[in-house]
Amino acid sequence: MGNPRVAFFDFSSCEGCQLQVANMGEDLLAVLGAIDVVEFREVMSEKGEYDVAVIEGSITTSHDVERIKKIRAKAKVLIAYGSCATTGGVNGMKNNFELDDIRNYVYQKAAKYFETIPTRAVHQVVPVDYSVNGCPVYLPEFVKVLKCALAGIPYKVPDHAVCVECKLNENECMYDKGLTCLGPVTKAGCNSWCVNNNNVCYGCRGMVTNPAENGAKDILAKHDIPIEWVENKMNMYNKAREFDKKEEDHGKKC
Amino acid sequence: MESFYVLKKSDLDRFIRQLSRSRKVVAPVSRGVKNFVFAEVTSAAQISIQSIPTILPPKKYFMPQCEKIQEFNREIHQWNPVVEANGEVVLFGVHTCDLAGIQFLNTVMDVVPRDVNYAVHKQKIVVIGLECNDYCDEYASCRVMKNHLPNGGYDLFLTELKDVFMVHGGSAAGEKIVKEAGIFLKPDAAHKKELEDIRKKKEMIFKDEVNVKREDLRGVFERSVQSDVWENLGGRCVACGNCTNVCPTCYCFDIKDELDLNLKTGCRTRIWDSCQNEEFAKVAGGESFRHNRGQRQRHRFMRKFTYPVGKFSVYACTGCGRCSRTCMAKINLKETINELAGAVK
Repeated sequence: MGNPRVAFFDFSSCEGCQLQVANMGEDLLAVLGAIDVVEFREVMSEKGEYDVAVIEGSITTSHDVERIKKIRAKAKVLIAYGSCATTGGVNGMKNNFELDDIRNYVYQKAAKYFETIPTRAVHQVVPVDYSVNGCPVYLPEFVKVLKCALAGIPYKVPDHAVCVECKLNENECMYDKGLTCLGPVTKAGCNSWCVNNNNVCYGCRGMVTNPAENGAKDILAKHDIPIEWVENKMNMYNKAREFDKKEEDHGKKC
Repeated sequence: MESFYVLKKSDLDRFIRQLSRSRKVVAPVSRGVKNFVFAEVTSAAQISIQSIPTILPPKKYFMPQCEKIQEFNREIHQWNPVVEANGEVVLFGVHTCDLAGIQFLNTVMDVVPRDVNYAVHKQKIVVIGLECNDYCDEYASCRVMKNHLPNGGYDLFLTELKDVFMVHGGSAAGEKIVKEAGIFLKPDAAHKKELEDIRKKKEMIFKDEVNVKREDLRGVFERSVQSDVWENLGGRCVACGNCTNVCPTCYCFDIKDELDLNLKTGCRTRIWDSCQNEEFAKVAGGESFRHNRGQRQRHRFMRKFTYPVGKFSVYACTGCGRCSRTCMAKINLKETINELAGAVK
C-alpha cells in the first residue's frame, strides 16, 4: 500500500501557512517520506485523488462553499489549517461591516462582479476532523496533527491559556512590561512562540472556550487598559467566532 | 557534628568557575525587570545574589516541565521506561523557601510507587542554599510557614556575612565539594558571632505575615469549604494557571503520547499540568468536577493547607510568595488567608 495521498487547498488566505510547510527544511523530507503530496499550489501543480485534504483559508464566497463541500465529500480526512481556516482569521474583520459597504469600499466600480458572504471558518461550513490553529501554523504542532491524522487518532487543541506555556518557558510577563497581551484568553499549543520572541500574543489561535470575562475586565482596569483596545485586538483574528455562538456547529469542535 | 566553613566573598567567583568546569552550575540570573530564572552560569558575575524567588522554582531540575518518560513500539507492544538524565547539576543560591519545596517534593515523590525519573534526577543534583538576610518582597510569607531559616534539605548552605559567606555542610556531597575546592577556611569566633547576630536580627525582621498562627492554618481552611471568599476569587481568576505553574510544591502532570512519522514507534512525555486549567478536571462526556474557577482556586489552596497535612503532616505552602507575585488578577495568598480567618471567627 502506498503512502496516504495528501492535498493542500487554499481558500481566502495569504498561503503563508503552506509556505511554512515549504520552509520546513530538513524535516520536510521526513514528512514527504510518510505522505504523497498530490496537490500543493505553492510548490507543484498536479491534480489528483487524495485521502487527506489540508485546507488553508476561510470561506468567504458562495463559490467557496460549493468548493469546500466537494473537497469534503472526496476527502477521508479534512484538516483545517491556519487561523483563516480554523477561526476565520483576519478575513473575519470583514464581518465588522455591512457586506455591500465593504464590497464597494474594496472593489469600487467593479464591486458588482465580486459576490461575497460573511467570512466563516471551515468548521462553520463543513465537518472538520483536525484543526491546526495559528497564524501562521506552528510547525511542530502541524507535524503532530498530521501524524495523528495518518494514524487515525484524535488531536485536541489545548483549551487553556497561552500563559501556561509562556510560564513554563519562564518569559517575563508582557503585562509586567506594560504591554497588552492576549495570552490569558488565547488557546495554547504554540509553545508561546510570539512571547518567546519578545512579541505579545495576538490571539491568532482563537479564544479559549470559557474565557473569564469579568476577571479579564478587572485585570484590564487594573492595568489601565481600555477594553475596546482588547476587543479590537481580539477581533483581528476572532471576529468569525460569532458564528459558533449563533449557529449549530456543523463540524466537530476540536 | 556541625561542620562550618567560610568562603571569602572574593573567592566566590573562583569557586563557581571551579565548579562549572566539571559540572553544570545553575543559579538565579536576571531576566528582565524584577524577574529571575535559574539558568546555567560559569562565573559569579552572572549570578543575582540578591534576588526575589525565580519565575519557576528549582523544581524544574528534579521534574522538568516536559520530560520523556517512555519509548514505545506499538507494533510489538513494547514500552520502555526512559530517564534522560544529565550529568551532575549544582543548584546554587537556593533560598530556604525553595529548600522546603524540594524537601516536600522529595517526600511526595518517594511514596510507593516511587517516581523513578524524579529519583534519578535527584541523585545527580547538589543543592547549595543561600540564606535571605531580609525579606525578598511583600509577597513572601516564609515566617508563618517557618521557612525563613534553614531547615536542612541542602548539601551546603551559605549565609552572607560582611566579608565572607558562612558555609554549613549538610551532606557528604557538600563536604566533598568543600574539600575539592580547597579554598574554604575554618570560621573564627567573630564569624560565628556575626552569624548569630544575623539570625537574631532576622527574628526582629521576620514576623508572621498573616493573622493566623501556623498551627491554626489547617483549621481555618477546613472550616472554609463553604466560604464566600472562593466565589470572589473565582470571579477574579482568569485561569491562566500561573499560580500553580510557579508553585514549588505543585507536581500534577499530564501524559502525552506522540508517534514518530513511521506511525509505529513513539514516545510518551509528561508535561506539567494545572488544576486551574479548564480541561484538568474534565472527564469523558465533557463533564467537569470543578467547572468554575472558584472551585479550582479553593482546590489549589486546600492542596497546600489541608490535604497534605492529613497525608504527610506538612503544609505544602513554603511561603515563597510566587503565586501572589505572578497572579494576573492579583489574587494574594496572604489576603486570602486573612479573609478566610476573619470569616470563620
